[in-house]
Amino acid sequence: MQVKTLLLAGGALLGSAAAASASGFQVYLGGQKNNGMGGVGVGLALDQAAMYYNPGALAMVRQNGVTLGANASFARVSFRSENGGPQRDLQSTTTTPFGFYAAFGPKEGKFKAGVAVYTPAGSKLVYADGWEGRASLTQIDLKSIYVQPTLSYAITPTLSLGAGLTILAYGSVNLQRAVQLPSSTGLIELDGKTKTRFGVNAGLFFKPSDKLSVGVKYSSKIDATVEDGEGDVRLTNVTSANGGSGTFNGRFTATKFGATIPLPATAAIGVGVMPTEKLTVGFDVVWTEWSAYQSLDFRFSGNAGLPNTDPNAPGVIGGNTTSTSKRAYENALCFRLGAQYKTTDKLTLRVGAALDQTPVKQGFVTAETPDNDRIIGTAGLSFEANEHFGVDASYQFIHILKRSQSTADLLDNGTTDRVAGTYSTFIHLPGLGFHYNF
Amino acid sequence: MNLNFNRTAPAAFALLALLAGCKPDLADDFKSSAGSADFSRYIAVGNSLTAGYSDNGLYLEGQLNSYPSMLATQFKAVGGGEFVQPLFDASQASGSGFLTITGFTATGTPQINPELKDASGNYIAVNSFGPGRALLSPTLPLLARSTAAGNQNLGVPGIRVADVTVADYGKLTPSSNAVNFNPYFERLLPNAASSTTYQQYVQQQVAAVNPTFFTNWLGNNDVLGYAGSGGQFPLTPVAEFDTKYSAMTDVLTSGGAKGMVATIPNVTSLPVFTTVSAAAAAAGVQARAVPDANKAALTAGLQLTAAQAATIRFGLFIRTGAGVTREIAPTDLILLPAASLIGSQATPTSTPLGFGVVISGLAPAQAAGLAAAAPPSPLPNSAILDGAEVTAAQTRTSELNAVIKANALRKGLAVFDAQTYFDGVARNGVVTNGVNNTVAFVSGNLFSLDGVHPTPRGYAVVASEMIKSINAYYNASIPGLDPTSFRGVKFP
Repeated sequence: MQVKTLLLAGGALLGSAAAASASGFQVYLGGQKNNGMGGVGVGLALDQAAMYYNPGALAMVRQNGVTLGANASFARVSFRSENGGPQRDLQSTTTTPFGFYAAFGPKEGKFKAGVAVYTPAGSKLVYADGWEGRASLTQIDLKSIYVQPTLSYAITPTLSLGAGLTILAYGSVNLQRAVQLPSSTGLIELDGKTKTRFGVNAGLFFKPSDKLSVGVKYSSKIDATVEDGEGDVRLTNVTSANGGSGTFNGRFTATKFGATIPLPATAAIGVGVMPTEKLTVGFDVVWTEWSAYQSLDFRFSGNAGLPNTDPNAPGVIGGNTTSTSKRAYENALCFRLGAQYKTTDKLTLRVGAALDQTPVKQGFVTAETPDNDRIIGTAGLSFEANEHFGVDASYQFIHILKRSQSTADLLDNGTTDRVAGTYSTFIHLPGLGFHYNF
Repeated sequence: MNLNFNRTAPAAFALLALLAGCKPDLADDFKSSAGSADFSRYIAVGNSLTAGYSDNGLYLEGQLNSYPSMLATQFKAVGGGEFVQPLFDASQASGSGFLTITGFTATGTPQINPELKDASGNYIAVNSFGPGRALLSPTLPLLARSTAAGNQNLGVPGIRVADVTVADYGKLTPSSNAVNFNPYFERLLPNAASSTTYQQYVQQQVAAVNPTFFTNWLGNNDVLGYAGSGGQFPLTPVAEFDTKYSAMTDVLTSGGAKGMVATIPNVTSLPVFTTVSAAAAAAGVQARAVPDANKAALTAGLQLTAAQAATIRFGLFIRTGAGVTREIAPTDLILLPAASLIGSQATPTSTPLGFGVVISGLAPAQAAGLAAAAPPSPLPNSAILDGAEVTAAQTRTSELNAVIKANALRKGLAVFDAQTYFDGVARNGVVTNGVNNTVAFVSGNLFSLDGVHPTPRGYAVVASEMIKSINAYYNASIPGLDPTSFRGVKFP
């Protein structure tokens, strides 16, 4: 299958995740089977979604086939200011992170080649009108799609390796926040698409017996970059085309921006245990190199040529040509545990749980990622209609634990561009997928 | 296994909808509580800050955004009742008149002009002011009387603690003047015959309202009267302040009310004293070249050496409170309204105001000759708070604040230490929910166009800090407010 067609398929769905399903703005929803099992997969070779979890395991997936799945993400973020006041709830948004995997290889051969299309990161949040943090964020929509051609080779019947080329085929960011002028409020919207970027994804899979399998996997960082001058700056009720009332024109002249958000490298190790033919248990530890995300910097350019401004001056927003906001993320670990039980030839049931450590330090919590440690519970099932076709369903519940930061925390860390208060988030992630094997 | 999709699907969707609707509940994260205080009936005593004075005037929008009004709104979450203010009618919304930005110069400097009239050109809350604000009919009150019964905001712009026992303070008599009569107090009194002192008025209102909680932010004008006049108006003596402030505290606590007192901010944290930098103004004057003809005349007349002549320059001169004329020093403060005086000339040939000639290394006889030949034209004492006066104001501020804190200790009252707080804001600004605010004039959001009184945003910041003080002292949990939702300086 051509990469181009896959892109079109991706474009139709335009996936992203509401309040990302793993730490930070990571989305860890590779395959529907794995989703039901707490997200394990590095030490397993369940299906073609192995390309996401561990490309090394792909050669061990017995059948050729196609797997397609999508999730609906319902996030419920609540915020309460440090000083009390009303609870602010996120406006309901629904997004659809997805995964598509197709892999083929010669029958009984040692090779498997495939292509994966999935959403590695994303976030969509729309805060309630009038919420305290509106000057830092009113809404965010971050989307990304990776396309990953993959090759896997079984060196011996027990050891296989694989590698993929991760292509950031689509990425977009849309950030909106209020601009608090002395006696009025405006809105600024930053909207941009990222350049195509490349990375690698590689893994090793070892299955010494029918009862045990082990895997390791690494994915490199890709910088999702909106090139300088490529992103659009849109202002509402801030500047004026009418010179007489364009009091703030000189402080908001930029029309374009550039920025970079890292999609961090991950490394994972996983173990699979198959005590009986019907039961499979997986345990993964995933390490994410979040330290790549130290600050969110915007570089402004262009000049709107508004009245009362110098048309030759560099473009500014709020009087500055750049803006920077501290993130100072720390590397984080995630522990995932899951099991599946084949009740009949037709029906497989799954259950799992995960503990996901936050990369966000105390005092650095931002509205666009109201992050904390997460506890995740999952369930899922597969129903095989016939020997080729089956349906996979999963459900994940994620609770981003309650997190409070005080004004003192913000002052201590120089992070007063965000608000003091308490966040708590529930995310419901039902998912549905189909697989066709031949 | 037999999955009946038709039967299970609706149930599954209903379950999903239920789960999706469920959201985290943070109700327990801040539980409002009155702590050991009772906020059911609140009364506010103070001066212009308490009245909601802003932009050099008292007008309806300012009154509605007074800090006592904001506090009363927040008190409602912990059992607070209604709060009656002596509001101007909507038809008299401009109140005493106020300053507003009417436009900008080509270089972006705001043009600030008084807003005194309504749309039909009338002085609205002022019964009998004529143009220039001269009193036309001495028998009528200066400002429309408030008819609000059970007034709970007793703030009177301009009042000092020294004034609280002055008789006829709100009664216009032939001997009334700016010191012993206050039109803002007059408008709170029921009729022209009222000769009550402010303290007696507070006593009456305490009896009428029977407050359970009060705030007292008096004292600012006991220092500001001095500082704002460039040191010409006296500072209130500490002993007199102590006597009168203590008596006021006794009146307010007589019914067992708990309360909060606030201290006096340093004048150096107010934009009216800090906007015009002495160093920058001096540099501006020094940058002006002394005309060659004058240089030649001085060189000849004073028999200057070449080295002396090379140092001839202009300097910015001031008249100090001690009557000395000297060049301005970095410790001197120039009052904001005085900025326009620098360089102004009474006649086209007179020496521009503030200008004087400076020559280094003069012998005493030469210096005397210079003083005689080219006397400087100093900025008047009223335009300058000189270094010695700044020190005097700061010392007195601290002395009076000690009295305020001692009274709080004596009666067990919360203290909002405005002196410490505003010193911090003057240094670092204050960020409210991601929005920067500073004490900078016009652009800083906190201070209104008079450079002394806060904007609604500034009052909201003050109210937030007061709530923190009250919460801490009375172990209460009064919800704070979001200062960002209040405006800074109003732009046209």
